[in-house]
Amino acid sequence: MSDQNVSLPLSPVDQAGWRSLISAQVGTWLLIAVALCLPLVVAGSWVFALGICFANAIGVLSVSVLVRYGGEVSIGHTFFSAVGAYTVAILDTRFGIPLWLSVPPALALGVVAGILFAWPSRRLSGIYLAVSTLALALAVPEIINNADGLTGGYEGLYVSEPLVPGVKMSLQRYYAALAVLLAVTYGLARLRRSRQGLALLLSKSHPAAADAFGARQVWARVAVMGISGGIAALCGAMLAFAGSTVSPSGFTFWAAIFLLVGSVVSVYGLTFPRALIGGAFLTLIPQFLSASGAWIPVLYGVALLGVILAGHYLPRLTQAMGRRKGGA
Amino acid sequence: MDAATNALTGQGISLSFGGIKVLKGLDVTFRAGEITGLIGPNGAGKTSLFNCLTGAYSPQEGQIAYAGQSLDGLSPAARAGKGIVRSFQHVALSLDLTVLENVMIGVARNHHAGWLNAFLPLPRGRAERAEMERAAMGALTDLGLADAAHSLPDALPPGMLRLVEIARAIVGKPDVLLLDEPAAGLNNSETRDLMQTLRKLRSGGLVMVVVEHDMDLVMSICDRIYVMNFGEFVACGTADEVRRDPDVIRIYLGSDDD
Repeated sequence: MSDQNVSLPLSPVDQAGWRSLISAQVGTWLLIAVALCLPLVVAGSWVFALGICFANAIGVLSVSVLVRYGGEVSIGHTFFSAVGAYTVAILDTRFGIPLWLSVPPALALGVVAGILFAWPSRRLSGIYLAVSTLALALAVPEIINNADGLTGGYEGLYVSEPLVPGVKMSLQRYYAALAVLLAVTYGLARLRRSRQGLALLLSKSHPAAADAFGARQVWARVAVMGISGGIAALCGAMLAFAGSTVSPSGFTFWAAIFLLVGSVVSVYGLTFPRALIGGAFLTLIPQFLSASGAWIPVLYGVALLGVILAGHYLPRLTQAMGRRKGGA
Repeated sequence: MDAATNALTGQGISLSFGGIKVLKGLDVTFRAGEITGLIGPNGAGKTSLFNCLTGAYSPQEGQIAYAGQSLDGLSPAARAGKGIVRSFQHVALSLDLTVLENVMIGVARNHHAGWLNAFLPLPRGRAERAEMERAAMGALTDLGLADAAHSLPDALPPGMLRLVEIARAIVGKPDVLLLDEPAAGLNNSETRDLMQTLRKLRSGGLVMVVVEHDMDLVMSICDRIYVMNFGEFVACGTADEVRRDPDVIRIYLGSDDD
């Protein structure tokens, strides 16, 4: 094999860091710029809703990373987001610890919870793993209610410690969630280029081949679940801070299902725009439909169907139109 | 360590699935510095032997050792860590990764940057990626695949995918290289290039074993050839010896009674 220096042809995959994060698309930068400026032009209720949207977008990413890197589906990720949310809320209310100090332990506990779940379920896959995550989702509200001395039970906890003293709290809630969302998408863009990311992707499609090159299947399963659990915990931490309250009603089985729905709607994308689409579907669509009364579930279902069909057929339509233009 | 002791050996390897004996007490020595061919009809047990050597299967009986050290009980990943690498009969590349990235996985076992480097722009992680890219590009260049480095596998013909697999296997400079039907799907020109590459790889320290149905390739590059049938070795020797062996002729051409 040649030991001489080999020059690498430039390609999109050679673009490091932030350029990789935004997939070299100016549109993403524009989207980030718009997100940065929005609080200056929209009403307070929308600033609040957008903060929640960013937090939910992080949750969508946590499910998407499991699908993309593990080839698995979870319907119980509210367990991990509850771990993050209650870590932040308990540290805030009991010890007065602000967000910047409570996020690292929230993240660490989410990773540990993911690994602890992954280890016994490491041989499960497909529908069996999905159903085992369902057990997590069903258990969360009961655990929270039964540990009411710590969690505040049904009433929940109020997160009030400012991140930056003196700055308007509504702006802090908005920008903190946006910053964490950007950080997570950046981290995931780097993961895609890393040695570990490459090994995880090979392990997803060809576990025996990955095994033969040193990446054990069990390691891959545990690692993906740890990453996913950590990101879900960050989602919970941001839901706690951006939403200011934490209660069992935010971590129900249906909330877990909607995280999966958001992931499907975003086509399991791990970029900022894709995550936003998922987060918006969880947060902003219901807000838009709020005046529709009893029709909300029906209209939400129609919107869901429309987005999924558009995601499925638009690329084919675009390709077909491109071919027609090329042939004309 | 010299080439004679730096060998991959198997003693009494037996493997059964249910009541079917796939490998029947095989004794084998694959020497360093040689290219050893493993041939035989479909179902003879060649890939099963590969799977035992790499740890994908655990034989019910027998011992496998490399350079005098037992490999028994070691997982495929642990054996990969000892420099024992293989390619697969059916192309096993990730469609999510570019050709270059698929090949980079072959050198991953030589790098150890931690998880923080996977998420943050730390110098060690960057250097690791750059080194992996450089090594992978070198292997692709050697196999004439540099132009396809940034393509996705589903955009390439099957012959090229086979070469990408071989690039992934050789990029990490393994001590033992097990190639399972490396020429399957290659055209004549690609097969000739592959033969040249394999000859170049032959070195004092490398144990190379090739399972292959392309007899021209096997006969021209292999120093020694094992012939398998029904889980047993029926012949072993140089290309000329194997070619003249009556059992081998019977297996491949059939006897008058058949």
